[in-house]
Amino acid sequence: MNNSSTWEFGTRQVVYGAIGAALYGVLSWASNFIPLPAAGNVTFRPAVAVLIFFGTAYGPWVGFLAGFIGNTLGDAISGWGFFWNWSVGNGLMGLVAGLVAAQIKDFRAQGDIIKAVIYGIVGVAVGMLFASLTEMLTSGIDINTALVGYFVPAFIGNAVVTTVLLPILMVAFAAVASRRGR
Amino acid sequence: MLVTWKYRPRDTFIQRLDPRTRLLFFFCVIFGLTLPDIWDYRVILPLFAMSLTLYLMARIEWKDVRRVWIFIFILVFMIVGLNALLSGRGGPASVTNSSSPVVFEVLGIDVTIAKIWFALTQVVRMITMTLLAIPIPYTMDPNIYGTAFRKLGSSDKVAFTMDLAFRFLPTFARDFTITMDSQRARGYELEKVNGGIASRLRKLAPLIIPVVMQSTVTGEEVIDAMDLRAFGTTPRTWIKSDDLRYKTADYFMLGLGFVILVGGFVLRFGLGIGEFFIPDFFTNLFV
Repeated sequence: MNNSSTWEFGTRQVVYGAIGAALYGVLSWASNFIPLPAAGNVTFRPAVAVLIFFGTAYGPWVGFLAGFIGNTLGDAISGWGFFWNWSVGNGLMGLVAGLVAAQIKDFRAQGDIIKAVIYGIVGVAVGMLFASLTEMLTSGIDINTALVGYFVPAFIGNAVVTTVLLPILMVAFAAVASRRGR
Repeated sequence: MLVTWKYRPRDTFIQRLDPRTRLLFFFCVIFGLTLPDIWDYRVILPLFAMSLTLYLMARIEWKDVRRVWIFIFILVFMIVGLNALLSGRGGPASVTNSSSPVVFEVLGIDVTIAKIWFALTQVVRMITMTLLAIPIPYTMDPNIYGTAFRKLGSSDKVAFTMDLAFRFLPTFARDFTITMDSQRARGYELEKVNGGIASRLRKLAPLIIPVVMQSTVTGEEVIDAMDLRAFGTTPRTWIKSDDLRYKTADYFMLGLGFVILVGGFVLRFGLGIGEFFIPDFFTNLFV
């Protein structure tokens, strides 16, 4: 499944980058009307697990494109506008998660799943930190608000979603991939 | 429930502009304000007036954007504005360092003239940038994003990813709603909220897994189709790129954007204008 090099950018990456982006956009948009679990100011957006999954399955470029374009699309169809730093942050989230792609041999194996979840959480940390810290430039908030008000809730919510849903997606994908024979 | 683009064709100055112009202008204003760290109301207010004018010229119906604006106002006034008012942090150090007279006290925190002026400046500065961001999905044709990025210099592959993503979006939205309806028909209760966070998240799996797995299968078919057509072997043609042409108005807006971007740096680092300060007329209101 992962016989290509980590940073290859061919037809496969173009197509799955686009599919990941469209899915991430649709699921982010769906978050507007599906009752999602929340605790305090932390929202758990299941779309994030899909983004991390696309990074894990198809590599860093797909993760980046799915996150960057997907967040832009999700904001666009929800009518939020274009907040470039959150789009880049989402892209980084997928990119870092995608660095594990070449190491995943079996999507059902416990070791591989744990590895993917760890990379996913690191990706969430990097991406959300970038977005929160650049808010200091764009909205002029201080580092305290950036970290406590933006980063911590986003990180906790996305990390929990990744931990819970990524293994389910990986196991389901293993079944689909083996049936397809690719 | 199909995903609908917020875009609607309107014969306005904004929509007659080339999409590339609009993206470049947007970034010029954002970077012109943020990179040189401009906090001077004499610079921010004219930019705010310009953003507001452009926003109104886009003629977006209020009912379309009401929800977005309510959210933004809550964020800007309650979270950011209130935080600036009480803490004074988030901007230049001069806000908290200055020995500005205390106007009143809340919960043991001194609210100084500097903090009040800073909160006002920050709110206007944020709304200036938001006014430019919000109209984009309402006024830019989704069919032209990919081409616009290509013509801005991105590679064929990146531009095609954009294009393909736009094409797939309504398809996946349809798949998602079909899946939701099918699961409901089988007795799946989305609204029934119980259990901890993890079990509630797991309950969303029957909605997400079928859509995602179907999309990975679709992907393989699209890859085959594209490979059979030799995608990526030679530069591709972009028919819609003929629609993108800079006109006089575009050159004017690009020039204006360039002036704002360079002007921000020149003012701040060349002339020393643009730093945070409290105007006398504002101080006189309180003392």
